[in-house]
Amino acid sequence: MSSEQEILNRLRDGVVEYENDMVINAANEALETGLDAEKAIFDGLVAGIEEIGRLYELEEIFVPEMLLAADAMYAGLNILKPHMEKKADGGVRGHVIMGVVQGDVHDIGKNIVKMMFDVAGFEVHDLGRDVPLEDFIEEQLNTNSDLVCLSAMMTTTMVGMPDIIRKLKEKNPKVKIMIGGAPVNENLAEQWGADGYAKDANNALKDAINMVASLRNL
Amino acid sequence: MEMTSRERFMAALKGEEADRLPVISVCQHATYEQMEKLGSYWPDALYDGKLMAKLAGGAYSILGFDAVRVPFCQTHEAEAFGAGLKDGGKQGLPSVKTHPYKIGDTVDFPEDFLERGRIPKLLEAIRILKDTLGDKVIIMGGIIGPFSIAGQILEVTTMLMEAYKRPENLIHYVEMGEKAGTMLAKAMIEAGADVIAVEDMMASLDMISPDIYRKLAQPYSKKQVEALDAPVIIHICGKLDRIVVDIANTGCAAISVEPVVNVPGAFEKFKAEGITTPLIGAVDPVNSLFQGDVAKVREETAQCIAKGFAMISPGCAVPPATKTENLTAIVDTVKEEN
Ligand code: B12
Repeated sequence: MSSEQEILNRLRDGVVEYENDMVINAANEALETGLDAEKAIFDGLVAGIEEIGRLYELEEIFVPEMLLAADAMYAGLNILKPHMEKKADGGVRGHVIMGVVQGDVHDIGKNIVKMMFDVAGFEVHDLGRDVPLEDFIEEQLNTNSDLVCLSAMMTTTMVGMPDIIRKLKEKNPKVKIMIGGAPVNENLAEQWGADGYAKDANNALKDAINMVASLRNL
Repeated sequence: MEMTSRERFMAALKGEEADRLPVISVCQHATYEQMEKLGSYWPDALYDGKLMAKLAGGAYSILGFDAVRVPFCQTHEAEAFGAGLKDGGKQGLPSVKTHPYKIGDTVDFPEDFLERGRIPKLLEAIRILKDTLGDKVIIMGGIIGPFSIAGQILEVTTMLMEAYKRPENLIHYVEMGEKAGTMLAKAMIEAGADVIAVEDMMASLDMISPDIYRKLAQPYSKKQVEALDAPVIIHICGKLDRIVVDIANTGCAAISVEPVVNVPGAFEKFKAEGITTPLIGAVDPVNSLFQGDVAKVREETAQCIAKGFAMISPGCAVPPATKTENLTAIVDTVKEEN
């Protein structure tokens, strides 16, 4: 029987080495040996993704490797997540709506951001790409999500963001909105009335955690 | 003595003395303001050769650039391979919606490739531009790079993962991309294009590693450059510091880069390798052209001149909502700084 630390290491290494089978086996073993699912996720999978984020920032790895790591991470998350202990608030850190704005099909970046949120314990309502304005509003009303994340990769589509932001805030002044994607920046976020901007997935998660925490403290 | 745009451009490519630096746009340069002035609008100008030529001519007649280029979108090759397109309406560009192949499929290269989709319209636009502006200004024909075509005919996320795990499985699609681009470029040259601009937006370090670039992109670009009897400018978006020497080694006539590229660093590497390939760039299309004002564009243009670019160009596709005054400010600055 493997020790707890050994299982965690295999979860982590499986993500870092893009070995889905290693992650799947370790995740199943974690459940069999009664390892806490949350611990397996955070000290195993998340540790792996953190290492991947570090290597990406150093330009030692690139988008293909990031996608492979995400794939391995999800292989483990799908097994472990159903076994996470339910907490008083439903066990989730917060609800997040995410989508790429209308007219824009660039979703690789959005999917990487989504992965960070999934693994960090957020419930992500992913609307996909080329998402009409109304769908963001409707989904927010239906799920009462704390945070809406908008992504755009083109200068022609990012100009749809201010409209979505205004309408969302009209319906629910408390909702937090974060925007991102290559042509977007801090100034635009402020100009358009968004609550945040992040240049990459790591920062997006950090900011989101702060935003949601600030909501809870109200 | 004042040179014509043609003379100026060719001198800059060869590293010869010119009256001033040429200003061009290696990627698309249509804007809503030019559409108004010229009475030629998207989406019609994307589907009709005459309207395409009319709108492209704005780079010369309105902006005062030294080259005009077609097309505006990046979908002609993929469409001819059978990709389904999504229309971009009045404001945006058409894009690939459905991918005709998945990894493992064999591509049946269409014999009638040049008759497919909107390729005949594109070639017609080049013929018109050659007839109407050819004696004054450089006509650039735009194609998509081999690796990026592969990324359009396959689904890109699975393709990227395969590029890392089993690159050999992608060679067939990159070869098909090379064949398509080269065939289109040859037809463009025959129709009157002076220069071929290759956009290889996915061969960027924003997307792939230097290792994948060397395995799956560079060799096919090199083959393409060697097959063409016209100067080839390669444009790759985003980061490329670690592959800039490899790009130069394709034998291309010039490399067009974005503002993120370390230009002095590239020249240093070139010097060490005995490479003289000129660099073209790199006025920030979003922060300066689209969101900035004339003062900001002037400042950045002056910086580009100081960095040693052989031609000044927007660093990537011009956002269509860009104001004309921001684009003409590039030309004005280049004239004054001379
Ligand atoms: C891959 C790609 C495509 C693929 C997209 C596949 C897909 N499923 O995503 C395909 C082939 C479909 C495509 C099509 C087109 N593309 Co394209 N594409 C690219 C490319 C090469 C890479 C984008 C990418 O995925 N980067 C990698 C990811 C990881 O980075 P990222 O998206 O920036 O995401 C990170 C951050 O931005 C941030 N982030 C992202 N979203 C969010 C959201 C939030 C809330 C937060 C906080 C953070 C955040 O975190 C992410 C991870 O760290 C770029 C050029 C380049 N080299 O960058 C052009 C580019 C974006 N495309 C461009 C264009 C013009 C097009 C087309 C119009 C071309 C055409 N005519 O066919 C079509 C349009 C399609 C459409 N309607 O949307 C232009 C846009 C120009 C502009 N600035 O407006 C670019 C810049 C290239 C160019 N100059 O030609 N493209």
